[in-house]
Amino acid sequence: MPLDTETATDKVHDPGHDELRRLEAGLDSLQAVPETPRGAFRRTLDGVVPPVLLLIALVAAWQVYIVTVKPRPDLIPGPLDVFGALASAWNSDRLQLAVTTSLERGGLGFLIAVAIGTPIGLLLAECRPVRRAVGPLLSGLQVLPSVAWVPAAIIWFGLTDATVYFVILMGAVPSIANGLVSGVDQIPPQLRRVGTVLGASRFEMATLVVLPAALPGYFSGLKQGWAFAWRSLMAAEIITQGGTIGFGLGSMLDQSRVLADLSGVLATILVILFVGILVELVVFAPIERRLLRRRGLMAAGLR
Amino acid sequence: MSSPAPTAVVTAPVQASLAAGPAAITIDALGKRFGAGPLVLDDINLSIEAGQFVCLLGASGCGKSTLLNIIAGLEKPTEGAVTVASGKAAVMFQDAALFPWLTAGRNVELALKLRGVPRKERRTEALELLDLVNLADAADKRPHELSGGMRQRVALARSLAQDRKVLLMDEPFAALDAITRDLLHEELERVWRQTGRTIVFVTHNVREAARLGQRILLMSSRPGRIVNEWTIADTGSRRIESPEVARLGDEITDQLREEIRRNAA
Repeated sequence: MPLDTETATDKVHDPGHDELRRLEAGLDSLQAVPETPRGAFRRTLDGVVPPVLLLIALVAAWQVYIVTVKPRPDLIPGPLDVFGALASAWNSDRLQLAVTTSLERGGLGFLIAVAIGTPIGLLLAECRPVRRAVGPLLSGLQVLPSVAWVPAAIIWFGLTDATVYFVILMGAVPSIANGLVSGVDQIPPQLRRVGTVLGASRFEMATLVVLPAALPGYFSGLKQGWAFAWRSLMAAEIITQGGTIGFGLGSMLDQSRVLADLSGVLATILVILFVGILVELVVFAPIERRLLRRRGLMAAGLR
Repeated sequence: MSSPAPTAVVTAPVQASLAAGPAAITIDALGKRFGAGPLVLDDINLSIEAGQFVCLLGASGCGKSTLLNIIAGLEKPTEGAVTVASGKAAVMFQDAALFPWLTAGRNVELALKLRGVPRKERRTEALELLDLVNLADAADKRPHELSGGMRQRVALARSLAQDRKVLLMDEPFAALDAITRDLLHEELERVWRQTGRTIVFVTHNVREAARLGQRILLMSSRPGRIVNEWTIADTGSRRIESPEVARLGDEITDQLREEIRRNAA
């Protein structure tokens, strides 16, 4: 019996075939695209050094301006004043409280927005009549500044966290849904045809072809959704104060304004900016890099 | 392994001399127009024998791809009928259209999954199929890491994974360089001989048709009709540079040009 399997494999090993194999292997290695991935350390270095240098230069220029022009400190505080305000907010635990409160709200609001926006986006992308009806409205909502919802939200929900979450959702949901729609729209029609040819059912087409193919567009929608969520949150926190609303970065910003503490205001703005940058760098950038690199969509300069 | 074949018996006016064996594909008085547009395909009657390698040749816009899509079931004929005896057909396009988020191996595995192959067997079978096109080593590579020729071979492995008796190919090598194309001709011929598939190969490259086909069908344009055909006795593999291919190519080219000229007026 073992002889049988021998002959079965033997059949493949005709000399002509071997020659073709070697020929093909040679051509394959000639045509292979050599990829030289840079190490994680080098990549981090390349990503971190230029922005840090720019930051140092900006702060230095600011300090030079303060020293040479000597403007009124209550109108244009120096870097040291701002740093001092930051330190005092830290020492009184206000800074930690504000950052955690805002991040918690922003994060939770964003997740709810994903849970709502994704099914809406799928429905819009796959169902023509719904899209014709709801599409323009959703694009309009994306352009409408979500801060415009604050007065209505206060009347509906009072000065509670529900107001803040409502405003976040109105900001983030349209971006996420629209991102998914454009992700689906950009799928090369050929991929769907392959799905059809391979015999995919409607469900298999959606889960195995359409969703993975739409992932890059969906992901940029998520990124934009986060940006809108974070902005809407700040606007809502600045405007709505008191009640049962917790103390966030927006509240801290408005408190400093009331006290005419410009150093405090600038310090808070910087914190809001840095939280945004940090979330982008720690959460979104690694996922996006992985997503794009696996599909060969990464521009050479970003590798 | 193959799906139950709905052997629809179509009594087609088979062109007598050609249907020696059982017909794998039968096309009967097929016509196609898109919407209210002009006739794209007109009165196509064709019977393709099981295991035959058929090249469908014609100038751009003659409707050869449309004909292939109709056989594949991707488009509906306006009139007439197409019967694929073994049920559905596997299709390979000019663009490999691999799923960019999956490795080469996973692309083949997906076809196996959609065919209903159990999870445990998929990996092994995918590797065997990739080995058939000499790409077992590239199973973990992603499509963008492969050259055009390698991608097309993965696409070939994927369409073989469908395990359909009929393989339809729509200018699969048109976008490749000549050296790669030449090798893929050899590869495809070997796979064809090894697996006994019925292949319908659409091309606008006369030499390619003369190199590969057992039977070459020449189509006219506007409307697309089958105007001539050549049957080549299978005397084993022939090279694209060989005098017999050149001679046949010249003959077909003359006819093709004649057909194109008729569109000048």
